[in-house]
Amino acid sequence: MSTFSINRRQVLAGIAGATALPGLAEAQTATPKPGGILKVSHSVRIAQLNVLQLSGPAEYLAVDMIYSGLTRLDPQMKPQPELATEWTASPDAKTFVFKLRPNVTFHDGSPFTSADVVATFKAILDPATKSPARTVLDMIADITAPDPLTVKFDLKVGNADLPVSVAHANARIVSAAALKEPLINLDTKANGTGPFKIETFDGSRLLKLVKHTGYYRPGKPYLDGVEMYLFPDLAAESANFLSGAMDAMLEVQQADFKRIAAAPGVNALRVPSGRFSNIVMRMDTKPFDDIRVRTAMAHAVDRQMLVDLVLDGLGRPAKDNVIAPGYRYLADTPEVPYDPAKAKKLLAEAGYTNGLKIPLICSNRPAIRSQVGVAVKQMAQPAGFDIDVQTIPHDTYLANVWRKGNFYIGYWGMQATEDAAFTLLFTTDAAFADTAWNNQEFDDLVKKGRSSPDDAERRAIYKQAQELMVRDRPSIIPFFQDVLTASRSHVKNWTSSPLSRTFYVEDVWVQRA
Amino acid sequence: MRDLLRHPTGLAGAILLAVVLLAALFGSFLAPHDPQLFHPATRLQGPSASFWLGTDQFGRDLFSRILNGARTTVAFGVSATLLGVGFGAMIGITAGVVGGWIDSLIMRLVDGLLAVPDLLFTLLIVTVLGGGAGHALLAVAVAFTPGMARISRSAVLSVRTREFVQAAVARGESRAYIIGAEVLPNALGPLIVEATIRVSFAIMLGATLGFLGLGAQPPSTEWGLMIAEARQYMFRNPWCVAAPGAAIAIAALGFNLFGDALRDLIDPRGRR
Amino acid sequence: MNAGYLARRLLSVLVVLWIVSATVFGITQILPGNAAVMILGEYATPDQLKALELQLGLDRPWWAQYLSWIQGILSGDWGISMRLSVPVSALIAEAFWRSLALAAAALVAVTLIAIPMGVVAAMKRGTWGDLVISLFAYLGTCVPEFVTATILLVFLAAPERQFFPAGGYTPPGESLPGFLYHMVLPALTLCLILTAHIARQVRSEMSDVLASDYIRAARLKGLSEFTVIRRHALRNAMAPAVAVISLDIGYLLGGIIVVEEVFAWPGLGRLMIYALQNRDLPVIQATTLVLAGVYALSNLISDIVIAALDPRVRYA
Repeated sequence: MSTFSINRRQVLAGIAGATALPGLAEAQTATPKPGGILKVSHSVRIAQLNVLQLSGPAEYLAVDMIYSGLTRLDPQMKPQPELATEWTASPDAKTFVFKLRPNVTFHDGSPFTSADVVATFKAILDPATKSPARTVLDMIADITAPDPLTVKFDLKVGNADLPVSVAHANARIVSAAALKEPLINLDTKANGTGPFKIETFDGSRLLKLVKHTGYYRPGKPYLDGVEMYLFPDLAAESANFLSGAMDAMLEVQQADFKRIAAAPGVNALRVPSGRFSNIVMRMDTKPFDDIRVRTAMAHAVDRQMLVDLVLDGLGRPAKDNVIAPGYRYLADTPEVPYDPAKAKKLLAEAGYTNGLKIPLICSNRPAIRSQVGVAVKQMAQPAGFDIDVQTIPHDTYLANVWRKGNFYIGYWGMQATEDAAFTLLFTTDAAFADTAWNNQEFDDLVKKGRSSPDDAERRAIYKQAQELMVRDRPSIIPFFQDVLTASRSHVKNWTSSPLSRTFYVEDVWVQRA
Repeated sequence: MRDLLRHPTGLAGAILLAVVLLAALFGSFLAPHDPQLFHPATRLQGPSASFWLGTDQFGRDLFSRILNGARTTVAFGVSATLLGVGFGAMIGITAGVVGGWIDSLIMRLVDGLLAVPDLLFTLLIVTVLGGGAGHALLAVAVAFTPGMARISRSAVLSVRTREFVQAAVARGESRAYIIGAEVLPNALGPLIVEATIRVSFAIMLGATLGFLGLGAQPPSTEWGLMIAEARQYMFRNPWCVAAPGAAIAIAALGFNLFGDALRDLIDPRGRR
Repeated sequence: MNAGYLARRLLSVLVVLWIVSATVFGITQILPGNAAVMILGEYATPDQLKALELQLGLDRPWWAQYLSWIQGILSGDWGISMRLSVPVSALIAEAFWRSLALAAAALVAVTLIAIPMGVVAAMKRGTWGDLVISLFAYLGTCVPEFVTATILLVFLAAPERQFFPAGGYTPPGESLPGFLYHMVLPALTLCLILTAHIARQVRSEMSDVLASDYIRAARLKGLSEFTVIRRHALRNAMAPAVAVISLDIGYLLGGIIVVEEVFAWPGLGRLMIYALQNRDLPVIQATTLVLAGVYALSNLISDIVIAALDPRVRYA
């Protein structure tokens, strides 16, 4: 009955970047045994399998097993060869050439060639496909296939991160033949090059995958099949896992993690991530147009206590810098201590001598938003903030508050690159801009950093950008939340990743007593 | 009233109701702690001298929260029911008194709406209105309306043929007078009984909506929401779920018992 | 009972369904927010939204949408789920049988438990047994389904004492024992609530019957208590019991929504919650219509059964 609490200790000791693979030491000594079925539970329905469009947590696991991309991010978020074996970039980072892996076949036995890559990326770039990958790939001007095993990307602007961008979960390669059919067919059928293929798909309860015998990595996958079971009720999900009915739990809730980690025969795993909940303060509206009010808010939040209460200790306090430990170019920015007296003083200086009464809007999904709201209300009270927490249904939030309101709780996943993190919310042309920061200097830095192929230069540029962000505090990022997952101890190598997009199930094997 | 207290069910119901109403009226003064105050050092604890029913995930005192939530929860049940009875009685009495094709039309519509189960109907309306305590209240009221309309209509019909009404008609009294002075007071009995029992359904519906995330919202101390929020922690501190669950059961039981006793008294046939 | 009556009742069921369809359609038309926003969620881009709105036909006037919807329902084309890209009819057909199995199991169990309970309570009126049964009945009606389900989950499916699986579903075709095993807890939850309600009604009906003149006459004739109950009393209390059960189908259908959600039973209730949460209009409309139809039909059937059971009931 081994519980891999080592992982937790490693995390607490500050090893960032999620090197914490479960049972890594053991896996190296023991020889993987082929065979067996892995049963994974999850709590959010797999609504579709269209790899170019989907965005659900369980859907990401499914397509990570069914499809492969040109590259895939390893747990350190570095791009590793997948369908592409190597790539080269021009000095200005405007032209990339990818060499493709030979002798790869799709699940139906047809060969994989550069035509499939070209068709996939053309589809992603077509707005009608509605692919989330388009936002990180729309700098592609053209993609061509000089020969069956080579593709060439021409970019509109230099982008040193392209090998990371093509690892996007929604940029995995679909066969050119499948893309000629109506797009809707991809929702329920899949013909990929990944280690597993679909046997049955019933969105209401079960996705059953079996081993793709023609998988390009020799000897893999070890498992004969993977079954993903849906349990919408979280208590029922953890009960099924603890009873041994399930082999792994895709996502463990913070509230349940310690109980599950303490159970016999369980490996519970914490993967530090850059996932965050933020307090949006729109800078083009009162009272947040005043930096003193934003700074007061920042000092009115006890970040460590937020981590303890809301995340049950399973996360790290943050400093309003969107770049979490684990990104490549993290700059050291100052701590933001909880200081209600200072906050009160700042509020008074800004003209709110009797405090500031203001409604804070939280969507009801996921529940963490209103938990953050309720906690912030209590913490900010001594600082003179009289916050009225209003939790509203998610759809009303999306329609009326999100990107319109001036004080609400956001919730975002970690991004693959600094550039993606900056252009998610903070640049003027950000995909989901809701800060109204519109800082030209910051925009220019981000643009410059993007096309700079030199590592040291990029580090310096991104450092400046982060310092600007902390100075102006366009929104409050109080903590980074860990990714939590668990497996039974007979399951070897089960893991997740900071982005929760890659799971490496082809390396998983089972050793039953 | 004395009859009611002599009735064993009525007595039990009255005692439970008294406790619940007391909590609803004075709960926030009686609470030993601020129901919203965090005690980070004592999270998810069982009952103790300072926290009589233990604490929740933020270390808030469960006993104080339950006392504080009594008002929200009971007010929800009572006002949703009153609204539903109000709407329903208006529709039902109109139908019963006017009669003719208007009556058939209204009753057909009511039958149609009654074919949608209560919870489903409430869910649909809440989704339209957009969740939250106020909207949930309105939804429960609307969902109760067709049932109450049917009951008040039949109460009116049963009264309409009685001698005193016919006497009033024969005296040439105005229609408004007949409804107000003769029909309504005599049709009120069954309505009150039904309404009392419905309050317990309303409380449970409200709690269920809270559980599904469509009713009251944090940081409210509504009991159903308390359960919904604490369900994640129920294996670590069962009191988080048990305490508000028991509170709901007590309130619902009180209204139910009391309503049953009322029915026995008003409808002598059922008196045993 | 005659053919004319039956035809009229059937017609009224259709009228009811038409009213429900109009209501549901009306309600879903005034849902706040834009369905396209809801479907694509937080991370959608504006052009994704526009494309989807066109695809869904949300730009047409409401009456055109209603007409084509009704036309579709009647011709068996229930539309495509906005969220799941699967025909709604397929989703419903699959979920329907699962819910029906669960509901039927609960109903059968309730009938087997509640009617004897009510009879015993009525016979032993005023004793401790009666008190216990009545108390249980009251408590059962006063605890919301999700609380009951949670309590059962903690006591019967907690990891340390796992008597039953904590939710999930095995198709009967795959393993019949597994199917039944998974059904126990959700059916039990529904059963507890309904039992409480029905036992109470049966007790009061039975008390009435037992106090009636002809039962006293039967007793005076010297018939055994068992014969009196079985032949005379039960028969007369049966019709009201059926009426109560049929009314309780309404509770059952409501209860199923919560219970299926808690125990991961992939039936109509779960489908409904999923559709409501994700604003999947075609699925919301169709599920409500089906549930209402089931309710109306079950009322009709119970009327027929009551008429057959109770010779005093005559329909013109």
